[in-house]
Amino acid sequence: MKALVVDDSLTIRRIVIKALGMVGVQEATEAGDGAEAVKAMQAGGIDLILLDWNMPKMSGIDALRAIRQAGHKTPVIMVTTEAEKSRVIEAIKSGANDYLIKPFSPDQLAAKVKGILGAAAPAS
Amino acid sequence: MDVSYINPFIEAVDTVFTTMLDVKPQRNGLKVSDGQAKGPLVTSLVGLSGQVSGVVALRFPPQTALQLASRMLGTPMTAVNDEVTDAVAELANMVAGSAKAKFNHDPPLELGLPTVVDGTGYRLRYPTKSVWLEVPFTSNAGNFTMEVTYNPN
Repeated sequence: MKALVVDDSLTIRRIVIKALGMVGVQEATEAGDGAEAVKAMQAGGIDLILLDWNMPKMSGIDALRAIRQAGHKTPVIMVTTEAEKSRVIEAIKSGANDYLIKPFSPDQLAAKVKGILGAAAPAS
Repeated sequence: MDVSYINPFIEAVDTVFTTMLDVKPQRNGLKVSDGQAKGPLVTSLVGLSGQVSGVVALRFPPQTALQLASRMLGTPMTAVNDEVTDAVAELANMVAGSAKAKFNHDPPLELGLPTVVDGTGYRLRYPTKSVWLEVPFTSNAGNFTMEVTYNPN
């Protein structure tokens, strides 16, 4: 299981990666903006994306649209300060699978990831 | 002057610091700011734009910035470096974002990317028509202040 953690803040990337470890996701690739995220997806091997909204060069919402337009079905959790209902709807319509508003606790993030991974797991 | 716009920002400080840092800030009054730093300060600024123009600035003495960054990063920080400025930038970003959600404008206000100023005795020069309110806080991670301007367009 490999996650792509996209945020222009190194601090948030560290917090997210630590929380991912709580739910057994030990491998993570980092990206500092949307353009880097799109590039990382082209390289392949990503099972889960944690995606900020406001970033330089390319925003998270634009990166999400580009990733979906490229045909990637990898689950995406938006992790962002954008908390208005209209923003959440916009993200879901653009292909986000879940949404976590900053500030968040590691437990909240871990629960979101667990939920996504559980939903993505094949039925036994 | 209606100063009630400051309340969502004060609530946002409480939410962000409690959730991300396990720090409970205590507000100590409210005054009009002259922008002058008393001694060394690390200042993190984020702009808001749209139906209003605003800026929120969090101003930390270096020791407070180090304490907060250490908590966020999970490792002791001993000097104000890129990691510390990144951490305080993200704090201002989350405070601005949390406050803007409480205003609930439609369309939502846009957040700028954070800027951090690190130095001694400098003064933030504010455009003449804007009024900046200053809210001092104490906390178990040290003292800090928040300064906010928020003007309808």
